[in-house]
Amino acid sequence: MRDTSRPLPFGQAVRGVFDLALEGMVWSRRSLMMALLLGLPVAFGVLYRAVLVAKLPTQVTAADLYGVIVTVYIRFLVPLAALFYATALIADEVEGKTLTYLLTRPVQRAAILTGKFAACLATTLSLSLPSLVLTFFLLTTARGWGAVGASVPDLFRDMGVVALALLAYGALFTLLGVVLKRPMIPGLLFVFVWELVANLPGYLPRFTLTAYLRSLIRHRPPAEGFSEMFGQVLPAALCLEVLTALVIVFLGASVWIFSTREYVMEQ
Amino acid sequence: MTRSRWVVLGSSVVVTAGALLAMGAIYLSPARAAVGPMPAEGLILPADTRFVVGLDVRRFVQSELYATSEGRRAMRPQAFAELEERTGLNPERDLDQVVIAGGPSAASGRRHPGLVLVSGRFDRYKLSRAIETSGKGVTWKDHQGTTVYMFGEGRKGADAAAFLDDDTLLFGSQAAVEGTIASRAGGKAPLRANSTLMALLERVKPGSTFWMVGDQTLLSNLPQSVPAPGGSDGASLQLPAVQNLIVTGDLDPQIALDATADTADEAAARNLADVVRGLLALAALQGNQKPELKELASAVSVSTEVNQVHVNARIPHALFQSLQPKKTAESPGVAR
Repeated sequence: MRDTSRPLPFGQAVRGVFDLALEGMVWSRRSLMMALLLGLPVAFGVLYRAVLVAKLPTQVTAADLYGVIVTVYIRFLVPLAALFYATALIADEVEGKTLTYLLTRPVQRAAILTGKFAACLATTLSLSLPSLVLTFFLLTTARGWGAVGASVPDLFRDMGVVALALLAYGALFTLLGVVLKRPMIPGLLFVFVWELVANLPGYLPRFTLTAYLRSLIRHRPPAEGFSEMFGQVLPAALCLEVLTALVIVFLGASVWIFSTREYVMEQ
Repeated sequence: MTRSRWVVLGSSVVVTAGALLAMGAIYLSPARAAVGPMPAEGLILPADTRFVVGLDVRRFVQSELYATSEGRRAMRPQAFAELEERTGLNPERDLDQVVIAGGPSAASGRRHPGLVLVSGRFDRYKLSRAIETSGKGVTWKDHQGTTVYMFGEGRKGADAAAFLDDDTLLFGSQAAVEGTIASRAGGKAPLRANSTLMALLERVKPGSTFWMVGDQTLLSNLPQSVPAPGGSDGASLQLPAVQNLIVTGDLDPQIALDATADTADEAAARNLADVVRGLLALAALQGNQKPELKELASAVSVSTEVNQVHVNARIPHALFQSLQPKKTAESPGVAR
């Protein structure tokens, strides 16, 4: 018989919270909306195969289109998906006034947040990666399988970058969700306003996540004179180190704040 | 199992299947695998290759620049028609890619003219007959199951040609062609052993109309210094050593040229960039006599990234046409 005065072991608690949170996240209206959003590239891929492949000039290759889609995916769609899920991890519990019940369970707060974040990551990866893979094959096989082999390394690289983007943005927005009562607006401002700083010259892009993620993918428009100042490419090793450090810092801060903060429910 | 777990499992299955399919596209169909822009057939090139140049003939022929230039080459259609009648080959229609490889010959230590790999659709019988009946010292023999056509056999520097398969034609020195055929027959990919060149090829984005990669051996014949402008007698500007060079280019919607040179360190890169900028400034100064040169200089940009120098040129077609040598106008007939 377990000693109920002591909290559940960390791993067991995380797994329990993960299972519960996953069930609520994956099978929800939010996920349906996200699936439609993240599935837009697949829809474009189908449209390309059905209609556009015969109409577009041959200079516009499927690999080029795939590159554009990946760039837009990582810049906008992936951060939005992370925003909608990660900010809701704690904010939804607070708004629904169910946080109190959750915190009274014999489960460490760190385990609650870790389990929920893991469920958020699993959900967003489950929605985004299949879309990326399907889009890749829809576009690159449009003119036969001859072009697929050359682009396969890009597919694996892009999948890795998408996973890293979900991790990084997820960690950041989890922190926002833990700190702020209404994290959605600041999150949207971050994605659509602050991240534009990545296009500025100088040192400022290093204060965004986009600059590091964009530097890890190979799909970049050619630098053209003046415009090359606005699309810095940072060394890959630096990008990986910084993103890893940011994930650790954001998640660590989130766990610490959630563990020590007093949540007072509004009556 | 809960519904959510089914969704996650289904998603994992899709991703895993896609990854396996992608791996299969590389490993099960090696003919479709490539390194950067180079087709898989290029891997049979010799390991001592020092530079590789590629031209995507289809993109080149379909470009607007080629279409507008075609009118200037009025004599070419006649030559192409004769070629097609004799060999069944229309270069504009049948050629896909041309890859040129060169470097010092490992056996002789001298620079050999290189190998040319041409891929496309060939009427193999017609082309072979055309070669065999062209006379002029053409002989042929079987080498490891492949017919090799030799031009000037026995002579020093004899050339050769061979069909590697229905889609690939190989030209070059007899020794190089036979060596390449032997590698292919043995299922080898000698170029993979050239890690420097492979790394350079992987940095080239597939889809360029033309591209070139070369290591420092290619550049060893370049001058190490240039005369310093305005300097005293004998003064010269030392050029930083370039370790590798990658050049890619496209023709539409304008001529886009991107060159990346790897130097020893950041200081050398800045030095080289300054030299290039200086040359561009000199070209711009010629703008009084030739305004096109000034325009050309402003179309080129130079930047550095750690130990790399990037030179990018974006040349509109009109500017390119204006830089071409103009035909002298025919003098009017004398009036009687």
